[in-house]
Amino acid sequence: MASNPGQVRGNLFRLAAIAVGLLALGVVPAFIDPYSLRIVTGALMWAGLACAWNIVGGYAGYISFGHSAFFGIGAYTTAILMQAGIGMPFLATLLPSVVIAMIVAAIIGGPTMRLRGAYFAIATWAFAEMLMQLATILDITGGTGGLSLPAYLNEFFFYYTMLAAAAASFLGVWYLIEYTRFGFRLKALRDHEPAAEAMGIRTNLVKVQAFALSAAITALFGSVFAYWTTYIDPMSVMGPEITDQMVVMVLLGGLGTIWGPALGAVVLWITNRYIWSTFGDTVVYLPVLGLIIAMVVLFLPNGLISLIVGRRRGRELISRILRKF
Amino acid sequence: MSSPAIKTSSADKSPLVLESVVKRFGGVTAVAGVSLVVAPGEVVGVIGPNGSGKSTLFSLAAGGLPVDEGRIWLDGVDVTGQPTWRIARSGIGRTFQIPSLFDNMSVRENLLAAAVEGDWKGAPVRAEEVAEMLQITHVINNLASELSGGQQKLLEFGRVCMRDPKVILLDEVTAGVHPNIRRIILEVIRRLRQTGITFLIIEHDMEMVREICDRLIVMNMGEVVAEGSFDDIASNVEVQQAYLGRQS
Repeated sequence: MASNPGQVRGNLFRLAAIAVGLLALGVVPAFIDPYSLRIVTGALMWAGLACAWNIVGGYAGYISFGHSAFFGIGAYTTAILMQAGIGMPFLATLLPSVVIAMIVAAIIGGPTMRLRGAYFAIATWAFAEMLMQLATILDITGGTGGLSLPAYLNEFFFYYTMLAAAAASFLGVWYLIEYTRFGFRLKALRDHEPAAEAMGIRTNLVKVQAFALSAAITALFGSVFAYWTTYIDPMSVMGPEITDQMVVMVLLGGLGTIWGPALGAVVLWITNRYIWSTFGDTVVYLPVLGLIIAMVVLFLPNGLISLIVGRRRGRELISRILRKF
Repeated sequence: MSSPAIKTSSADKSPLVLESVVKRFGGVTAVAGVSLVVAPGEVVGVIGPNGSGKSTLFSLAAGGLPVDEGRIWLDGVDVTGQPTWRIARSGIGRTFQIPSLFDNMSVRENLLAAAVEGDWKGAPVRAEEVAEMLQITHVINNLASELSGGQQKLLEFGRVCMRDPKVILLDEVTAGVHPNIRRIILEVIRRLRQTGITFLIIEHDMEMVREICDRLIVMNMGEVVAEGSFDDIASNVEVQQAYLGRQS
């Protein structure tokens, strides 16, 4: 849909910038120590997760507090399929993870995405809690004891896997949102749902599609995370902090923007790691998270990305989504 | 005056037929058995005092509200009870009393968004044509929220034009706009009706109604109280009492 020369030039510039950025990220492991590499790998994962949440929160305008469930679905699917009895290779578990998450999202999204604002947020939160509690009592998930995965101690593999997943997520979402009917449908329903329907857009279907896409990306990162950490339990892959962090990363970086969530994820993850290394645990991190939410809404409604590229409509966009509450 | 019942069927190919349509909100009957047949290329004005049920009638025709009784036919197809998106795809386009734009999208993107269920490949060219027709090319890259009130009305009308509907419902499209913008809107309505597009227009501007409408229906308290040409309506005693609030 780039129909004028200015847009074409802008897109060529963006593509060149992306190519340079990917090249730079590709050589990062050669210049940093293993500990720093783990932090950068984590930043890539959180960037991908923020990108996934942004599809529903930023583009559809529905605040989900249930995304930790999809992260957990991805993690547990990979863990279960790699257990001794089944023994699937890691890469072969990715497709089932993504497909299961999409199916669950479609089932849950069908009824819940007819709800508005706080009702949708509560419904998704309840769904995630329910799934987490289920994981603590089922044998197949290992209950509270969790599951161990075959160890593969190759940091380079996980770095490049996370990089590939994050790059594919961002570029895929960018293309879908900016250039396809799906993206226009999604942005239209966010801005004015009755008007979107009056133009023939089947809004309930589009919302479920967006939810399923978002869930698929989240599950993909859950799968990689499980193999990376080699051990998972319900709290580590389905805890509510996972969703909270996605939400704050997107708000901090720039709600409803393509690259804002990546920026927010990197800044927040580095802050997280700094606090962890300084104070020894992440309990201190939670009030910091709350403070960041308040500061962003009050003083930086456009997100950090607006300091770089400038967005004119951040405050109105946040207001529009919050008005649904 | 209650509306006469209309004998119609799916064989009746009128672009829009409303048959004894009723809508109630609790104990209030907003639309009380309205029947209406609109011919191809006809421009029908809907007038009446505030609260007479005009906008509700539009919402019923476009599927924004479900009817409690009666039937609605589009091009001979019964669309009663269908969801809004399906009725829209059947060939009906509408504007709202308060412009309902996609504020975080540019004018161009607003126009493109209107074509997502139609000719998507041809949409960029069509958007340029529509912007030119409505004389909003100079603001095509602006955000919709940055437009003036009149430009917002033009953009909303433009979004409807992008979809090439068979029936267009315009809800006070010239209310509060500059005379130049009013002139542009009138010209576009005239041009489109020549292509066979049918219009149903809610309007308080009697000059515009006189200029553009082939026929008027007057609503009061949810009912059609009169129907006919502008001159017939202007001399109708019941209309003068109900709408203009004066005794003859």
